[in-house]
Amino acid sequence: MTEPHDDHPHVPGPSLWPVGFAVGIVVLLVGVIISWWVAGLGGLIALAFAFLWVRDLTAGTALAHAPDVAPETGGPAAGEPAAAAAVDEEPEERYPRSKFLELSTLGLGGVIGGIVTAPAVGFMIAPAFLKQGQKDHDIGPLTDYPEGKYLIVTYMADASQGEVSRRTAFVRYNGQLKGQPSFTIISNHCAHLGCPVQANGPLDEKNTKQIGDVTLIPTVSIAGFGCPCHGGQYNTEGNRTAGPPVRALDRYSFSIRNGHLFIGKPFSVSHVDGAGATAVIHKWTFSFPGEHVNGLESWLYPIQPPH
Amino acid sequence: MATRRLTRKDQIQQTILYPVDWLEERSGLVGAIKYFLFRKVPGDTNWFQTLGSATLTAFIVQALTGSILAMYYKPDPTIDPRTKLPVAYESMQHITNDLWAGWLVRGMHRWGASVFIILMFMHMGRVFLFGAYKYPRELNWIIGVLLLAMGLGEGFTGYLLPWDQTSYWATVVGVNLNGTAPFLGPFLAQFLNGGTYIGSDTLSRFYAIHMLMIPGAIAALIGLHLYLVIRLGVTSPPWSKEAAGTGPLDGQAPNGRVGRAGLSRFRRGQ
Amino acid sequence: MATDRIAERRRIFKQYKEDVESRGKPFYPFAMFHDTVMSLVVVSVITGLAIVWKYSTPGDHIGTDPGWLGKLYDAPADPGTFSFVPRPDWYFYFLFYLLRIFKWPDTVVIGTVGLPTVLLVILIAVPFVDVRPERRLLRRPVAIVASILVVVSMGVLTYKGATAKESLGTELVAKVPSWAKKQGFANNPKAIAGAKLFAVSGCLNCHTYLGLGGGFAGAPNLTAEGAKNKGIDFQIRHLENPAGVNPGSPMPSFQGLGTANLTKLATFLEASKGGK
Repeated sequence: MTEPHDDHPHVPGPSLWPVGFAVGIVVLLVGVIISWWVAGLGGLIALAFAFLWVRDLTAGTALAHAPDVAPETGGPAAGEPAAAAAVDEEPEERYPRSKFLELSTLGLGGVIGGIVTAPAVGFMIAPAFLKQGQKDHDIGPLTDYPEGKYLIVTYMADASQGEVSRRTAFVRYNGQLKGQPSFTIISNHCAHLGCPVQANGPLDEKNTKQIGDVTLIPTVSIAGFGCPCHGGQYNTEGNRTAGPPVRALDRYSFSIRNGHLFIGKPFSVSHVDGAGATAVIHKWTFSFPGEHVNGLESWLYPIQPPH
Repeated sequence: MATRRLTRKDQIQQTILYPVDWLEERSGLVGAIKYFLFRKVPGDTNWFQTLGSATLTAFIVQALTGSILAMYYKPDPTIDPRTKLPVAYESMQHITNDLWAGWLVRGMHRWGASVFIILMFMHMGRVFLFGAYKYPRELNWIIGVLLLAMGLGEGFTGYLLPWDQTSYWATVVGVNLNGTAPFLGPFLAQFLNGGTYIGSDTLSRFYAIHMLMIPGAIAALIGLHLYLVIRLGVTSPPWSKEAAGTGPLDGQAPNGRVGRAGLSRFRRGQ
Repeated sequence: MATDRIAERRRIFKQYKEDVESRGKPFYPFAMFHDTVMSLVVVSVITGLAIVWKYSTPGDHIGTDPGWLGKLYDAPADPGTFSFVPRPDWYFYFLFYLLRIFKWPDTVVIGTVGLPTVLLVILIAVPFVDVRPERRLLRRPVAIVASILVVVSMGVLTYKGATAKESLGTELVAKVPSWAKKQGFANNPKAIAGAKLFAVSGCLNCHTYLGLGGGFAGAPNLTAEGAKNKGIDFQIRHLENPAGVNPGSPMPSFQGLGTANLTKLATFLEASKGGK
């Protein structure tokens, strides 16, 4: 009697299909964050490899022959003797019950695990990546910004989050450029590891203005910015002049409505040529501190999460 | 057959043993505890080998003080309009200044963290110098390294909870450090932050990781770590005669004469 | 060869197990006594530290003044701050100082994640690299040297991380009276005003003065600048246009401060004769 319904657990042979399935799941999850097309592709890959995997697992069972042993021959004790009879009589021609139960248990267990963990894990990860970005914020009338002087501006980027969303920027009015006001708005997060950067120069704190949640502190004159954590230094345009920062300071885009300056989304800067209104700002997607945006090392960070 | 009349001492002993036997018959627990307590260890185990259980004690202190602090701490960074302070900071102040023995429990938790980390490093050093990571204890060593990494992770996530200036900015730098890892770094940083910046969800995130996820993992790994110690046995110090049988001249006494292979001579036997 | 080694170590372990059974002592009470004493020490140390932390805080033992073991807590978190020096907890100081060692922008990723990851991998790989059954210390020179190196380097890095100072404007201003005393310009109000400007304008990000400051630009020590007698006019000219006076100098121009402020700065520099 060859291979009766075995008491040993059926250990599947080595196979590459689970790897493909895992890759499909990863692409699916990354796609949920980045783009629905990628997610769809991931789902298709996962399905394809899942199919191949299950087919591989069930390949040992022969479904070719219809069961010969009819239940009627069991007589009064149909259940147990029939099963016993089935064991004795050529089980390889029947789809063994134990194998079916094994695969169903694993399969259903997998489904249960998926139903429970997928939404939960998705809930843990996805909200950090969806619906990022904040609305433009009013940081005061244009008249509060004298030409050529930096002001330290703190504001609450998202009123619904409260004080935890407070940010600081260094804002300077550069005069007119082609008939439009030009501003330099520099973030105070160091481009090395995010420490709060200081202005190198005395502040004119007597003339601090408070407009709602926005505070404007004028400076007398600053020669650049310095970071207290690891000694990074920047010039007045935000270019790195010394220390470990990997790029220039980030900047904010801005808009002007009804004579008020609105601060917008941040973006990263590799370097700035020139100064003031006519500066050429080399702009990159907003990246976390410490990440190179150009050069060889920027290949370490090929994809940015949605900011 | 005549039954001997039981003495008072026997009667007391029977009363005490009755529930123990009851438990043992139904669960086998008593036998397991007895096995743990009375198992044999080498006679010349050293004071250095108490560092492991000392680390466990420090962890238990952390778990206990931490769970109790959690009854009073509120992981909420929003500003309380009445006091103009963040709620989390306020609850920490309340614990430190107002509640009875709050300063003591908070202090024990904060310094217990430092002691826990120091002891982990010392225990790791002791295991390394005793060669107790060698066969068959490699798996235990790997579990230990994972425990070290998770202990440091606990320190990092716990540091944010008081929500003062030091907490906030140390966390900003720490998250950005993770962000510089190649390829997945930016995703990891954004996942830890709960968004692009530290926001209203970050504190509760760190709290959940600090209170539930990492301690759960640490407890499970400690259980595994201890199981392996009991199963594989405790090593004797490297200067004991037992270790002398493990070199290339296996079986030879240090003076070169051939002795019985691997025989260990404990100085103080049973 | 490999199977010989495997069989050998299995034999050694079996022998160990048999010896422990026959010659060992029960864990309780012999080894457990040692464990209990050590645990008592640990708990006492933790409690003692907590008590010292609280009661060495000056005044009512509450608030943000530091005691012997540091502050009970700092000011509340201010995400918009521009005058704070972040520091991690002390057991991360060695990583913190590693970041200052890898100060060139291209090497940043080595200090942040490269080196720590490599060290973690080496740590995990230890039992697979060292497969000899030898445990006697004198016959394991690599292990001894490695452990000494690790302990010393982590100790040095932690110490240097703990003592790393930054030139934070608001903290430096508080030092001006002690500078005035040391340099002897305490009765010169212009010099004092100049000293305050010096403190907040980021000069100590590059220059050193009376043991403070530093940075990466290798700028000269200004403690005894006045002793060189270059004169106030020279100082003002230099501050207005450093590269003009000193070709190739990376120092930015401080012209924007205005003549009055520059005079005060120059007075301060000329009054810095080198300290007592």
